[in-house]
Amino acid sequence: MARKDLLDIASLHREEIEFLLDQSTSFKQLFTQSVKKVPALEGKSVLMLFYEPSTRTHTSFEVAAKRLSAEVTNFDIAQSSITKGESVRETVETLQAMRTDYIVVRHGRSGLPGMIARLTKASVINAGDGAHAHPTQALLDAFTIKEKYPDPVGKKVLIIGDILHSRVARSTSTLLKKLGMEVAYLGPGTLVPKQGPENIRLFTNYDAAMAWAPDFVYLLRVQMERQDVQFFPSLREYHRLYGITNDRLTEIRQRGLYIMHPGPVNRGVELCDAVMDYERSLINNQVENGIAIRMAVLDWLRPGGESSSEMSAHPSQLAGQQSILA
Amino acid sequence: MLLLQNARIASEHSPELTEGDVLMVEGKIQDIGQGLAVPEGARVIDARGRILMPAMFDAHVHFRAPGFENKETITTGSEAAINGGVTGVVMMPNTRPAIDSAAVVAAVLDNAKLRSRIPVYTSGCVTKNREGKELAEIDGMRLHGVKMLTDDGDTTNDPAVLLRAMQYATEFGMFFASHCEVPELAGPRALNEGVMSYRLGIKGSPACAEEIIIDRDIRLARAAGAHIHIQHVSSKLGMETIRWWKSRGDVKVTAEVAPHHLLFTDEHIGDYDTNYKMNPPLRTQADCDALLEGLKEGVFDLIATDHAPHTPFEKAQDFISAPNGITGLETALVSLYHYFVRPEKFGWDLVVKRYSAEPRRLMGLSVPTIEVGQPAECLLFDTEAETTFTKEFMKSKSQNTPFIDQTLKGRVDLVILGAEILLER
Repeated sequence: MARKDLLDIASLHREEIEFLLDQSTSFKQLFTQSVKKVPALEGKSVLMLFYEPSTRTHTSFEVAAKRLSAEVTNFDIAQSSITKGESVRETVETLQAMRTDYIVVRHGRSGLPGMIARLTKASVINAGDGAHAHPTQALLDAFTIKEKYPDPVGKKVLIIGDILHSRVARSTSTLLKKLGMEVAYLGPGTLVPKQGPENIRLFTNYDAAMAWAPDFVYLLRVQMERQDVQFFPSLREYHRLYGITNDRLTEIRQRGLYIMHPGPVNRGVELCDAVMDYERSLINNQVENGIAIRMAVLDWLRPGGESSSEMSAHPSQLAGQQSILA
Repeated sequence: MLLLQNARIASEHSPELTEGDVLMVEGKIQDIGQGLAVPEGARVIDARGRILMPAMFDAHVHFRAPGFENKETITTGSEAAINGGVTGVVMMPNTRPAIDSAAVVAAVLDNAKLRSRIPVYTSGCVTKNREGKELAEIDGMRLHGVKMLTDDGDTTNDPAVLLRAMQYATEFGMFFASHCEVPELAGPRALNEGVMSYRLGIKGSPACAEEIIIDRDIRLARAAGAHIHIQHVSSKLGMETIRWWKSRGDVKVTAEVAPHHLLFTDEHIGDYDTNYKMNPPLRTQADCDALLEGLKEGVFDLIATDHAPHTPFEKAQDFISAPNGITGLETALVSLYHYFVRPEKFGWDLVVKRYSAEPRRLMGLSVPTIEVGQPAECLLFDTEAETTFTKEFMKSKSQNTPFIDQTLKGRVDLVILGAEILLER
């Protein structure tokens, strides 16, 4: 049941998700041992192709790959120049010639990792594409939630923030729903899709959302750099309306809710300082679990170069077809 | 001399087909009847019940020349038209240079005379270089035969500029064709805003971006006393807006719909398939249904394909980078038959009226019919044969169509223009 690529969550089967979460548990157990490395990917090369700046995800993948004994190469992209699809094709053709086994790609354009996957025999892992998908983030979120509730069916997650532009919101909510959880979105009317996916509650009012009685409050990072188009009048106003203020934290503590955030956080915007010391904040757990998840993903995928030619061409297309149906 | 035996003849006036033989002499229809005698020296083709109808006319095509000959040329574009049963087209002016002056119009039309076996007409820009600022030399273009003015590809965004152009050009009997879209609302991506745009994670263009300009441009035309033609309507409310204005009767409005907007929804984009990316974008099933209703009701005067060729390299990019548009000339008639006429959603009369007669009337051209004394401009269509739209089948330089490698019922077997057989299969 191995795949060539991991491009999104929608195309993953339930068994594949369970398998990855189980594998991550095993990998995580390594972290407390003195030797954290396993030889699973010895002699394999992992190429990091990041067209968008990212410290956390980039580092997390790099650590994961190294703990599997893979060689890691960073393909540095000048941030201003290459972004369009045609240049990416040329880059991928170059990489194909370098015979890399895995390509971890982040790009601002939705769907671009899928295009790369069709062009190369290497396994492509989507580390975030535009507002489309961020599958490893979703998996680490699910893993983090399952650590608290091994049977998460029926648990409720409220995702707060810029839902419209968030690949994290899309992938994480898709995965949590596949695991039988309930998801709601909260954010300003400009950043919550009017026609979102089915079976996700939409809120634009904090109190109404809290009355829905979530078990987890999942805060999204407010994208400061996106403020060329004004989606809300000021950060101060955002914090007052949708941020976790001190007063709101008090209520959250009373209710015993968990707080999550994909990082990096903007203090004073989506959350106040005190949240960082909140005993039920899972933000650091998410970071640690991210490495285990990415190890499991790298270990699971099978680059097309060493399997039948069918493998190299089909899984990505298949993935796409399934995502339509999902 | 050509005698077509056992044809079933279609017209715009009735869904009923009339059976008969048709004799064409020197490019004219000389006789129609049952069991016509074979004249000496006449070529005889047994139509075996295939359908004989006036040839089609497409009032909205992009032939890309000058400037983008890697996508299409007048030769390949006009051959694609013939391949689809189309014997006349109106080019859009978004070439490079844009068709915005008498000199460019003359160059394009001279080129077309040399390189095309069918009449090629061109529209002209409303504004210089389609920039929406300065008026193009409208009367200069008219002297070379331009009747339709449009900045197609974009809306003439400044309403004051468009109003002035309308006030100026109406005097010369010209009309305006509007690509409708508020650019600030639409954004740079051709994708309907809705469930699908959310799922794909790409900013969508809301239908209201189109509907606002449909309404705005009709109001401007009313104020100027101009004739406004609304291009490629894609939304239900857009159709209803036009219907409402037409019911008032105090402004001359015509409108067109493209086959792809009748047939496909944004769901077809699936995994970022750029062969479903065009502008205006594919919307929802409710929109498709409303457009079909509008077509049957006559809200849409004509069907036009917005034939928009792009190279495989350009379309193979990611969805956001890939250019807008799909080809349509070679697939339109067969797809209309396969999806609408064959399942009896509408009859051949609608096809002939909306894709042959009305577009010619819009352009002030004579309308070919299958009647004695009329010039021969017709096609023979086999309703039982199939067409597979392979790369080899296509005459267009580009194959960016959702129908690529698909097989549909129906085939254009013969295309006749005057004394010449342009296509015979």
